[in-house]
Amino acid sequence: MFIADIKKDFYEVVANQRVALLVAADIDGLCACKILQALFHCDQIQYTLVPVTGWQDLSTAFLEHKEQFRYFVLINCGANVDLLEMLQPDSDSIFFICDTHRPVDVVNVYNDTQIKLLIKEDDDLGVPTYDDIFRDEDEEEEGEGSGNESDEGSEPSGKRRRFDEGAIERRIERQRAKRQWEARRREILFDYEQYEYHGTSAAMMFFELAWVLTKDTKDMLWWSIIGLTDQWVHDKIPHMKYVSDIATVQRHVSRHNHRNEDEENSLSIDCMRISFEYDLRLALYHHWSLYESICNSYYTACSFKLWTLKGQKKLQEFLADMGLPLRQVKQKFKSMDVTIKENLRDVIEESSNKYGMKDIRIQTFGVHFGFKNSFLASDMVHAAAALLESTERDENDPTDNFIKALDSLSRSNLDRLLSGIDLAKKKLIAIQQTVASCICTNIILSQGPFLYCYLMEGTPDVKLFSKPLALTLLCKYLLKAFVQSTRNKRCKLLPLIMAAPKDMEKGTVIVVGIPPESETSDKKNFFGRAFEKAAESTSSRTLHDHFDTSIIELKSEDRSKFLDALITLLS
Amino acid sequence: MFCEKAIELIRELHRVSDGQLPAFNEDGLRQVLQEMEALYEQNQADVSEAKAAGRGDLIPSIKLRHCCLLRNQRCVVAYLYDRLLRIRALRWEYGSVLPANVRFHMSAEEVQWFGQYKKSLASFMRSIGGQEGLDVTQDMKPPKSLYIQVRCLKDHGEFEIDDGTVILLKKNSQHFLPRWKCEQLIRQGVLEHVMS
Repeated sequence: MFIADIKKDFYEVVANQRVALLVAADIDGLCACKILQALFHCDQIQYTLVPVTGWQDLSTAFLEHKEQFRYFVLINCGANVDLLEMLQPDSDSIFFICDTHRPVDVVNVYNDTQIKLLIKEDDDLGVPTYDDIFRDEDEEEEGEGSGNESDEGSEPSGKRRRFDEGAIERRIERQRAKRQWEARRREILFDYEQYEYHGTSAAMMFFELAWVLTKDTKDMLWWSIIGLTDQWVHDKIPHMKYVSDIATVQRHVSRHNHRNEDEENSLSIDCMRISFEYDLRLALYHHWSLYESICNSYYTACSFKLWTLKGQKKLQEFLADMGLPLRQVKQKFKSMDVTIKENLRDVIEESSNKYGMKDIRIQTFGVHFGFKNSFLASDMVHAAAALLESTERDENDPTDNFIKALDSLSRSNLDRLLSGIDLAKKKLIAIQQTVASCICTNIILSQGPFLYCYLMEGTPDVKLFSKPLALTLLCKYLLKAFVQSTRNKRCKLLPLIMAAPKDMEKGTVIVVGIPPESETSDKKNFFGRAFEKAAESTSSRTLHDHFDTSIIELKSEDRSKFLDALITLLS
Repeated sequence: MFCEKAIELIRELHRVSDGQLPAFNEDGLRQVLQEMEALYEQNQADVSEAKAAGRGDLIPSIKLRHCCLLRNQRCVVAYLYDRLLRIRALRWEYGSVLPANVRFHMSAEEVQWFGQYKKSLASFMRSIGGQEGLDVTQDMKPPKSLYIQVRCLKDHGEFEIDDGTVILLKKNSQHFLPRWKCEQLIRQGVLEHVMS
């Protein structure tokens, strides 16, 4: 059931209890977890935090902790499946789920006792009404019973026959109605569960809780901003939603910045300041050189088509048009000439309009603390995502990476954040190179209803792309680049499925599907159900372990038959 | 050269990183004591000879040997005293039961000394703080809060806290627990205090 009053029905319920937090491995979840941890510290609520990377992990963690905890808080996991059936908990376990995955499973919505959803009820959910899906079985049997009774109570055979016929007719009628109802129910559920998409950020949800408790701080506000930006960077929400959420956050930011406007030096320079920025869509450009950032941000790289020679020349023209000397542009941004930096954003915006990049600027937020440290929200998202999925060391324990990424979000762990930024730079460069090589070698094939691309084992940095977030990012950039570079009008509207080797020993590949590229896309993804059906029909060995149903693991040998099944399914 | 063995003892202690107790170097100590005995014998002989035969030229060598004896004595005493200081620090760090590998490194006399130190510390703690005494080995630094956030560094299995609830300590899980319960595990290296 949906929680109406988050303070009364969630926070005060867990106030004197011990809670288990099960958090999924994505940046929004991490930020939500940080906010909740800060709140729990304030109020001395004991908790245990366990990172989970998939459904199996979730089940294991639940089994391990179900003896000791009664209250479980699930962050960014658990809303889109029938949780009670999957975990089989005792009747006194209570789950608080704050998840951005939609659609929310109907059992979770209508369960009144054990499942509490920390989701706003009007968050464009479109949940079918109760009567359409669930039906009380009592009415039917009552009807049967009364039919039998009247049978027994009748006397001569003539009357009995008439009663029999009446009863049979009624039964047939009821059965027909039931079949109709069931068909309608299947249809409604199919429509409801067909597309997978994301709702409001979990971090923003918890920030609102903090605000209602008047325990919100700038740190929590910053984390909620990072959570929202994560949804935008990884393409989980449509642009309109992002803009409206930014407006919501902006109100909080101006409320927190109210003190600054009183006197000149009311706050020390070491205090954290969050400011609204209408900044360029160049990834990590403050911590890199402008040139590198333009080459490796997908927006500019795809608009210029930097994998072609013509594109490179266009870039040089662009820089010359703005009057920026190459030496300056290739230097680290922080050491760039101050006179150039002053009007940089406006100059770039003007020039990019000429080259067809209408939205080079995006509304976002930045944080400043101390003299040296200023970060944009998207910088932090890239850094944390790179840390979360780093393949640097061989042990590769996902929980280790989770902890590192969690640490990097705190202001006191700057060196962790800076190492994350370095990793993110490498990741962006790798993505750009892979995109360039894929486009140039034409390995994106149109399979009819979708585009398909397979990364061979020997591709450089292919280890990086065995992780879901990195692969999704690569998918997105590749699709945009492909749409820019292809001449086939029909192919521009197709979604993309990408497969990359995941585990050499087990011989599996990771498969990701993303919706087609369009200006006003609502980011609804139908691949989750499609993958499930295709796997079933070909009995391929798949693992639907990830919380996003559009990301699965598949045995390499079953790849071709799985694809064929998908093609037949979707045409 | 004289006093080399004594310096060896000192160097051994110096080499080991702060706080750890190396094995009791019984051999080394015995060698130093033997050297001291030998020097003393020689000195005795020379002194009686110098007195009897009036040999003034033996005086410098007597002086030299005497200095060596003093030096050896100083080194040995420093060695023993430093070990005692380390053992004392162990009580504050590990509590009254020492882990087996540490106890293995102590000599019998040191063990005895440790027992007596424990007793006197315990009676001191009983005498202050009213009825039930005060455990001064807890909270070495003033605590900022009742509960602290800790992260588990290795799998430690189940752990019980005061009100009977059991926590499963799995690698990389984070917990928010009462401070006094965690201190032991933090010292053992199972948990790590996380400051955010």
